[in-house]
Amino acid sequence: MTVQRQYTLPHCNLVLEGLSADANDPLSPLAVLMNAECRLPGVTDATLAGGREFLDSLVAAVSRYGQQLLSGVASPPLGTTPPIVEVKPGEGTYHHLIVHQQPLGQPLSDENAQPPLDIKLTTVQFYDLMEAVDQLLADTQTLPDLTAQFQAVSRRLVQPSEPVAQRAAPAALGAAVLAAAGLALFFVPPPEFDPTRRSPESTTPAETSPDSLQTNPPAATRDSSTNFDDSSAKPAAAAAVGGLEGLETAPAITDAATLALLQSDVTRLLQEAWADAPRPSGDLTYRMVVSEDGDILGYKYENDLALDEVDNTPLPQLTFQRVDGAEPVREQVAQFIATFTPAGEVVVEPTQSVTPSAAAEALPPLESKITDGDRIRALNSTLYDTLLADLEPLSASEDLRFRVRLAESGDVVGYEPLNAPAGLLAPETPLPGLVTAANSDRNQADFQVVFAEDGVLEVSPWDGWP
Amino acid sequence: MPVNSPPAPQPSLVLDTLTNPGLPNDECPRRARIQLDLLLLAIEALDLSGSEAMLAISRELALEGLVKGRVHLWLLRGTNPMRRYSQRRPLQLEEAKALVMISCALARRLAVLVRQLLVGYQQLADRQLSPEHHFRLADYLSRFRSHFRARMNPRRAGVIAYSTDEKLDELAIQLLQQLLLCAGVLGSQRLWSSLFDGEVS
Repeated sequence: MTVQRQYTLPHCNLVLEGLSADANDPLSPLAVLMNAECRLPGVTDATLAGGREFLDSLVAAVSRYGQQLLSGVASPPLGTTPPIVEVKPGEGTYHHLIVHQQPLGQPLSDENAQPPLDIKLTTVQFYDLMEAVDQLLADTQTLPDLTAQFQAVSRRLVQPSEPVAQRAAPAALGAAVLAAAGLALFFVPPPEFDPTRRSPESTTPAETSPDSLQTNPPAATRDSSTNFDDSSAKPAAAAAVGGLEGLETAPAITDAATLALLQSDVTRLLQEAWADAPRPSGDLTYRMVVSEDGDILGYKYENDLALDEVDNTPLPQLTFQRVDGAEPVREQVAQFIATFTPAGEVVVEPTQSVTPSAAAEALPPLESKITDGDRIRALNSTLYDTLLADLEPLSASEDLRFRVRLAESGDVVGYEPLNAPAGLLAPETPLPGLVTAANSDRNQADFQVVFAEDGVLEVSPWDGWP
Repeated sequence: MPVNSPPAPQPSLVLDTLTNPGLPNDECPRRARIQLDLLLLAIEALDLSGSEAMLAISRELALEGLVKGRVHLWLLRGTNPMRRYSQRRPLQLEEAKALVMISCALARRLAVLVRQLLVGYQQLADRQLSPEHHFRLADYLSRFRSHFRARMNPRRAGVIAYSTDEKLDELAIQLLQQLLLCAGVLGSQRLWSSLFDGEVS
């Protein structure tokens, strides 16, 4: 018995015809679907019709598009063969129902193929179509095997909102720029690293920053082919400590007396400044350049330990900071080797072997001292009288300090200037003319002699009054 | 037999029509939370007593166990990250189901009005007229705009996208269409599965 089921909505009329499973029961479900018709009154006069295949396709297309409208996520079509019914979004709020119809009862061929039917639906009209389908799906007494199969779209099937080319563009651009940069830099020679050479860029901040330890910026134009080139030194620290370039061309001080004075001056300076510093584990040897005034103009390590421990020495603080760092030094300089020993002593030696005058030579340490207090007092007054007798007005602008050694007999064995003006002005004092006795192993005594700036003479025992 | 405590609340049977999607946990994805809150916002813009109707319908559907009163409903809707007072609590699937049922039931009740508004909008759009020419539609749009601006955090990137009136009107019309699709016999199931589009593996 043929039964007809109809689902009517304002804009959609879905009619199913088929054979009922139970001829006696008018409400029994359809056993066989013969024809499905879909009319869209008010939209189009065409009647969409087909068999079960058409109905299944209509249900699937409407369901998928309805879900797409709700979620905004487009789902890809299932299967490879083009479906009979498709729904696609149109411009504005319109939707397109596309039906690939074929004449009933005839095989599909090129001759009888018809152009697909394109029906423009508003949202309300589409809703009616969907509602008709939904009522069919919810109706268990028409086609019980046709039920709702709602399934969320899988993450893998979601098409990205941006096309592949657009998403790949930033990555491709980056790769292209990298390749171009690599190609361009291929022609640039790799920089050669020279630990002793210092670029102007690296020295400029050192000059301007007052607290920098690097106090002797060298001339950038100077090459490093000097005798200070120490290839065994650590390259990184070499840039920080080195810095005698620019001083190499300075004229050297040749006067032995001046050298001796500078030597004692610098020794005392370093000794005082180094008094509180931690003692090194080994000898720290530095090559120093000293100006005529006694200023340390620059220094450079001579051994690796000296490089590591440079911050523990007073050299960075004491070094005179030149303003015109790039200019070669024009004044006369002297070079010394300063050795900081683990025992806490500072030994300063000139680099060139000079023959200092005997008188101004530093006195060797006393081996046998006069211990008799009366004798010392007597010698002190004798020396004072002798000096005062020969004393003439001095051209000194500051105190001249000497260490004078006397033999037990009262003869002057030798003297040693204690500050630079004393060394320079020693010939003006009576001291050179008083040296009569040769050094000996006999008992001797040291005295400090000060020719004060205002002409006052002071003589006192070196070790203090007994 | 006397009992000392009230019987444990039974989960509502109406939720059984909504099958659990294959999510790794029981929490709703971000897009679902936004979508549910916006649909309810559109319902409020359509119906002046919409928030009262939501509570009434939840009692009708025996969903009090999941939507416990006005404040709890506000907390559930506050899981929308676009909200000004966004809640950092997750939205459980059961709670989302309740919101779906409420939205669809109200959408069904408002279906006639929604149809009228959509038809009117379509006619105006065909004649290239602005929605202001339709009194009821303009009313809905302006109410939706003010609801949206009052409740959404304007510094959120998702909200900045709707900074102009035109963008908000577009969103309101889109929500109107979605409400209509929810109103059908299988609307709740369609809405439910659409919430997880692109989220399931």
